[in-house]
Amino acid sequence: MPDPEARRWVGKRYKRKEDLRLLIGEGKFVDDIQLPKMKHAAIIRSPYPHALIKNIDTTQAEKLPGVRGILTGQDVKEMSKPFPCGVPIPPKYYSCAVDKVRYVGEPVAVVVADSRYIAEDALDLIQVDYEPLPVVMDIEEAAEPDAPVLHDNIGSNIYSHRLMQYGEPAKAFEEADLLVKGKFLFPKYGSTPIETYAVVASYNPVNQEFVIYNNYQGPFVNHSLVALALGIPENKMRWIVPTDIGGGFGTKTGVFPYIALIALASKKTGMTVKWIEDRREHLLASATGTDRVTYMEAAVKRDGTILALKDKAMDNTGGYIRAPEPGCAYRSTGNHTGAYQIRHLDREVMVVGTNKCLTSPNRGYTCQELYFSVERLVDMVAAQLGMDPAEIRFKNFIQPDQFPYTTATGGIYDAGNYQKAFQKALDIVDYPKWRQEQEKARQQGRYIGIGIATIVDPSVTNIAYVTTALTPEQRAKGHPKSGSGESMTIKMDPLGQVHVIACTNPQGQGHETVISQIVADELGIDPDGITVSNVVDTHDRVYTITTGSYSSRFASVGTNALVNATRKLKDKLFKIAAHLLEVSPDELVLENQKFHVKDQPEKSIAVRHVAGTAHWHQTALPEGMDVGLFASSLITMPTSKPPDELDRVDSSNTYGFCCEVIVVEIDPETCEIKFHKWASMHDSGTVLNPMILEGQVMGSITHGLGGALYEEFAYDENGQCLTASFQDYLCPTSMEVPDIDIGHVETPSPFTALGSKGAGEASCESVPVAVANAIADALAPLGVVINELPLTPSKIWHLIKEAKAKQA
Amino acid sequence: MKPAAFDYIAPKTVEEVISLLTTHEDEAKILAGGQSLMPIMNFRLGRPGLLIDINGLDELDYIKQQDDHLLIGGLTRERTVERSPLVRDLCPLLSQAISFVGHTAIRNRGTVGGSLVHADPSGEIPTAFCALDGRVKAVGPDGERWIDPGEFFLTFLTTSLEPTELLVEVKVPVLPQGTGWSFMELSRRVGDFAIIGVATLLFMNGDGTCREARIALGGVAPTPFRAEEAEEVLAGQAIGEELISRAGELAGEAADAEDDYHASAEYRQEMAKIMVSRSLRQALARTGKGN
Amino acid sequence: MQLKGKYEFNGTQQQVWDLFTNPESLAQAMPGCQELRETGPGKYDALMKIGIAAVKGTYTGKFEIADPDPPNRYQLIGEGSGSPGFVKGTTDIQLTGSNDKTIVTYQGEVQVGGLIAGVGQRMISGIAKMMLNQFFKKMKKELKASGSAGS
Repeated sequence: MPDPEARRWVGKRYKRKEDLRLLIGEGKFVDDIQLPKMKHAAIIRSPYPHALIKNIDTTQAEKLPGVRGILTGQDVKEMSKPFPCGVPIPPKYYSCAVDKVRYVGEPVAVVVADSRYIAEDALDLIQVDYEPLPVVMDIEEAAEPDAPVLHDNIGSNIYSHRLMQYGEPAKAFEEADLLVKGKFLFPKYGSTPIETYAVVASYNPVNQEFVIYNNYQGPFVNHSLVALALGIPENKMRWIVPTDIGGGFGTKTGVFPYIALIALASKKTGMTVKWIEDRREHLLASATGTDRVTYMEAAVKRDGTILALKDKAMDNTGGYIRAPEPGCAYRSTGNHTGAYQIRHLDREVMVVGTNKCLTSPNRGYTCQELYFSVERLVDMVAAQLGMDPAEIRFKNFIQPDQFPYTTATGGIYDAGNYQKAFQKALDIVDYPKWRQEQEKARQQGRYIGIGIATIVDPSVTNIAYVTTALTPEQRAKGHPKSGSGESMTIKMDPLGQVHVIACTNPQGQGHETVISQIVADELGIDPDGITVSNVVDTHDRVYTITTGSYSSRFASVGTNALVNATRKLKDKLFKIAAHLLEVSPDELVLENQKFHVKDQPEKSIAVRHVAGTAHWHQTALPEGMDVGLFASSLITMPTSKPPDELDRVDSSNTYGFCCEVIVVEIDPETCEIKFHKWASMHDSGTVLNPMILEGQVMGSITHGLGGALYEEFAYDENGQCLTASFQDYLCPTSMEVPDIDIGHVETPSPFTALGSKGAGEASCESVPVAVANAIADALAPLGVVINELPLTPSKIWHLIKEAKAKQA
Repeated sequence: MKPAAFDYIAPKTVEEVISLLTTHEDEAKILAGGQSLMPIMNFRLGRPGLLIDINGLDELDYIKQQDDHLLIGGLTRERTVERSPLVRDLCPLLSQAISFVGHTAIRNRGTVGGSLVHADPSGEIPTAFCALDGRVKAVGPDGERWIDPGEFFLTFLTTSLEPTELLVEVKVPVLPQGTGWSFMELSRRVGDFAIIGVATLLFMNGDGTCREARIALGGVAPTPFRAEEAEEVLAGQAIGEELISRAGELAGEAADAEDDYHASAEYRQEMAKIMVSRSLRQALARTGKGN
Repeated sequence: MQLKGKYEFNGTQQQVWDLFTNPESLAQAMPGCQELRETGPGKYDALMKIGIAAVKGTYTGKFEIADPDPPNRYQLIGEGSGSPGFVKGTTDIQLTGSNDKTIVTYQGEVQVGGLIAGVGQRMISGIAKMMLNQFFKKMKKELKASGSAGS
């Protein structure tokens, strides 16, 4: 294995292979699929948050020239079953509303027509009679026994509820010198990928097979779920995800119900149907992260040691709950205590429903909600103890010599040096200088604040975590789940060129590029000559239920599978070369595309000839060896085990570290925020391509900034969505993002072949709370309580006004 | 988000346009830059039966000086005005205001006439126009007429232009040497609709006192409007910090803001005060007479 | 949104009561009301074309003059729905008269839903208030007109 110093391509700023085709409009997206006699779908959606559907009259719409058919909830109910979901009593969630709507934007019927224009004309002609029902929008109210109930078959709005304890929290709370608590509200927000959901579905009545092009991002467990819902064998439904997806971020896990819906529209009408979601639909009814209410309390010693945490977290998945939820509550189990050595936990976990649109993982998945509470609370603890917020973090960090470190909740942190990374960030910002500036500023009536967040970024999901939604007793009765498998195949053609078949299903992360770099290093070839296909095809590709790009898993389990497969191929090449040269493989060296005996350069054979032999002279190969040159690897991370009977689980398998140190100033009149200095330090293990990583980090920082100051899927108290266009759902643009010093520390993971860990989500998890901490710090003299997002100037202005009134 | 079906025609002369408007009235809409109209149609919030595309009427695209006024054709692109050295020299308030309109790509297509007729209450061009006492020339079946500043904006998205009229020209004054001017805006992000937009002008006397002040506010009422009480406090005075604060307060009181998801009415009211004061300070500094 | 306010009318309380419970007067004053059809005592179906500039929509609506306490107060309940969305509201209308002047106080809650709620946030409250203002102005005009025509 080439040692890190000898890497020629991994770790270099190798230019992305994907960019040219994307920049000149030659990317291959679902909307580029044009099939013969293809029709177009439009969806009529509920304007009510909670209502009975008394009647749907489609007669006028059906008569409109160009309309080919209409699918209603009744059809969907007859043609499919509700989607399974990992909670004790799942709601009856179909791909279309049946009898009742439960959020504004819920699909009520689908029109198939010759064009999208005509389909939308037909929507105007559909008469739906609704009988509005009482609405429930507030998370805590929804959990009350007298709340309007969304699903009669469940009887309450609580989809999931568990109590979990680790260590001896009661004892720790008794031994504490100080208890500090807070209530924290995390908003509903999401990633709004530039490409919206897209589905092209055909049903072949002759072989009863569906062929569905779509931009689903994984995990492919949902392929099985959709098959179950449609009541068909999985091998009768072929999903093809094309080469290019315009952004996923977890949001494109939520396209699966629409895959089912358009598939049914295709079956009913007998036509190939294309549906491209428009932006308004996306902002109303695609998928967002959960909003969450958290009560969290820390048991602390006077010296700043945090002994225990006690928290009640209530996540809102909206009008229904659907897979992979209740992941929103359980996926961060292994890293619940973040970067700290906290051994005692008392957790109450609740997942509820309100009349809001539905959820899916959203870049960072659960960790932005979790760390918003933990990191705010750590700052509050520091303030109460009169301790510097940087100091208290150093006090509680896991030490470098403790890795691999097993957390109280079963997470196995592979590698890290939190102190080094954090100190680096503080140095870049010149932390002591800014504390002095802050003092001066306070005397002048200016509000300068320093916000800190230090977090552990989990990557590679172990699907076992889903079963922590069940109690140990319930798990013992059911079937265990575990794993994080990914698939890679590599082949060398008769003329010696290399092609990789990846199933990682990227949505812009540059896998084609990084795969080329890795294979180039392993085989000593030029990355330019390597080709990669990453179309996922459930018929023609080898994959498993965990396949896909989500949870930043490419850099770990994806690269593990790739390196594994490549080494198998290399091993085979060595064996064939040795066989042909009549030496043993360990006598050979591979240099400059040639195998030669050590110290005997004239005894050699070109790689090209080895490849040629494998294909052209098949009986010359060693006894029992497969002909040709290909190798596959479909492997899991070995630490992806099921939860134990104490609810401990390694919910992710590689754990990076990220910290933000942000200096802000709040304009005392307008309450707008200005950034003076910002250091963002990342440890994602071995850096595979610094240029790609920079893009990922900038993206996650910007998205985190969105959650802190700008973005929210907002609803009024009557359940109406207020942010159904980009006029009101505010994504930060380049003008809103300040200059940021991004840095890296590399602590290679012992669990991955190249030492790399996931990287793309870290700042999504740290930035929202770091910005909140900065604002809280700036306003500390006023005693302003900061516990919710987004922090708009208007909100800050009101907080200051109230605080001043209280002080007076 | 596909529009409902519509007819489309691209006339070659203003007369043709008027004739079409006279025939179709409310059922027709003028397509100029389309930066407001296209989203309205794509959302199906509006469904004009006929789009009259005037983008071919090159004769309506001009900027020229006529004595102490600037004449700008209705079809002139916002970006053209923004980059015009003539406008920058003679009516810099308008240049600065236009730089706040959306983003460059929007300004490449959006027109000055279109922006005025669209009459968004927080529109930068309408707000600056208010401060400048700009006049518009409308052409209709009965000929042409000039519409005075105070009479043009009626309410949200509504002007006194008749359904049979086309706005062909905008007239704004050349600002005398030494005039203070400022356009400022508070918005959530760069390029967003203004939470509050402020346009101020300070016409100065030879002795350094202010002859006339103009303060226009956008985004805090159904139309942009002039804060007259605030203006009167400054007229004839040597302007200093105290008067600026006072004017700001009066302007704030004149604002009639609403709560919405992005900002409360109370915040908007307070920001009217703050931004007017800031704008007056900037305008004063530009007169060279401020201390 | 909450809407409330008051207007002064030049008429006796009885005259104003008659005006405000007369469906034709209401239809005349309501913006864009094309037809009003009685479907029961105090209940009406309506067709409304409401819009501002290019933003226009057709709504089918229902109105009810409920809980009348003549000539003091009643509840005006209304709802309209069309492709741009729906509007629903309940308003308390109260009359306080002294001699030839009557104050009409209204207090109510209006819900807007669907497309216009999702993309029209910026202007909805302002436009609603403006339309309410227009309605009351028209009602005042009607009272004046009926006064000069009749007794």
